[in-house]
Amino acid sequence: MLLQIDFKSGKPVYLQLVDQIRYAAASGGLRAGEPLPSIRPLAEELRVNRNTVAKAYAELENQGVVETVPGKGCFLKESNSPFTKSARQKILTKEIDEAVVAAHHLQVDRDAFLALVKERLDSFERKVKEKSDND
Amino acid sequence: MNTDSPVIEIQNLSRRYGKLDAVNGLTLNVRAGKCYGFFGRNGAGKTTTIKCLLNLLRPNSGTARVFGLDPEKNEVAVKSRIAYVPDLVAFYPWMTVRGTLEYLASFRKHWNNDIEADLLRRFQLDPKQKASHLSKGQRTQLALIGAICPEPELLVLDEPTSGLDPIVRREFIETVIGAYQSGDPGRRTVFVSTHLISEFEGLIDEFTIIEQGRELLTMDADAARGRFRKIHARFAQAPAQLDLSGALNVKQNGREMEILTNGNSEQLLEKLKARSPEELRCESLSLEEIFVASDIMKRAKA
Repeated sequence: MLLQIDFKSGKPVYLQLVDQIRYAAASGGLRAGEPLPSIRPLAEELRVNRNTVAKAYAELENQGVVETVPGKGCFLKESNSPFTKSARQKILTKEIDEAVVAAHHLQVDRDAFLALVKERLDSFERKVKEKSDND
Repeated sequence: MNTDSPVIEIQNLSRRYGKLDAVNGLTLNVRAGKCYGFFGRNGAGKTTTIKCLLNLLRPNSGTARVFGLDPEKNEVAVKSRIAYVPDLVAFYPWMTVRGTLEYLASFRKHWNNDIEADLLRRFQLDPKQKASHLSKGQRTQLALIGAICPEPELLVLDEPTSGLDPIVRREFIETVIGAYQSGDPGRRTVFVSTHLISEFEGLIDEFTIIEQGRELLTMDADAARGRFRKIHARFAQAPAQLDLSGALNVKQNGREMEILTNGNSEQLLEKLKARSPEELRCESLSLEEIFVASDIMKRAKA
């Protein structure tokens, strides 16, 4: 799992880390039981405030994505989502709305947008399948 | 000390040199555990402000408090909890690296020898080397070791990386994050004045832009990047009578435009979209771009 920060995205830095780690967790870049990088080396490598990384990890723990084992570090949890269906949909709705607004600005129409969503879903599912085939 | 009280509290600070108002009514607060950026052009009053915090200068009016204390009346109490790295570092030329560190340590109650050994190795500094034979980069590295080993609660950096090569600058920032900040994150505060804003971007929690001795803009870094945006629009032909009032700045080249916005990008995007652009993009400004844009804001205010 490689993380990177884009200051031009306008998204708070800790949220960028949260999103990327969640994406890595969902797409197989990070597997259950695998440790997240330690806070200090990751902060040094990305050259971001140590507290920003700590905040991202705390948020991930809050969301039930990772768990901290004292003295050992932070690990990705088994994928039993702690969220209710409506909570999960709420999170996703926010993300979709952002994409919808972007599509609107870029003048990508409804059909093209939906086609793109399908294509990305297919591509994601292929990746997850390849990953599980390789295991 | 009450943990909620600011580590640095500057109230209406003024300092004149003769008739020149170097600092002219500056107010800012830095909370514990934060990394605070202090940006301004040459001569804006950054170093004068810092010298008032360190009791190297006395204010003409207003107050500067560090840990809630007056740096003039409680000089030792304040300085024992601070470390300072200026842009030009001077050491006694006859002392070796080892001798310089021992000399610096002699003024401190606490000195972390593990960090010292670690950083000497990391920077590949030879303890037997004479200070007079060190390069500018090595002198800054030595100053940084001297600043971090006492594990101070406040690290004041004044243009610390100007004139250094990119690798030394990177290592400097990594050391501030790793060796300094990670020690006890809640009690490690950084106050950094710099022109090399992009290098410190990820470190900065909050910042103040100072202009002619006055505060021009103080903001949380994430909030600032959310608020200041750059829109790029391209039309089939140059749009006529497009009202972009409220934009911070508009640059137009034929049918392409670049628009800087301050908190109203959505509204301006709507207006642009109504003209069916061929292309419309929007991105956040980096802190450095915000600093440059602040000059436009200042002229707009005047």
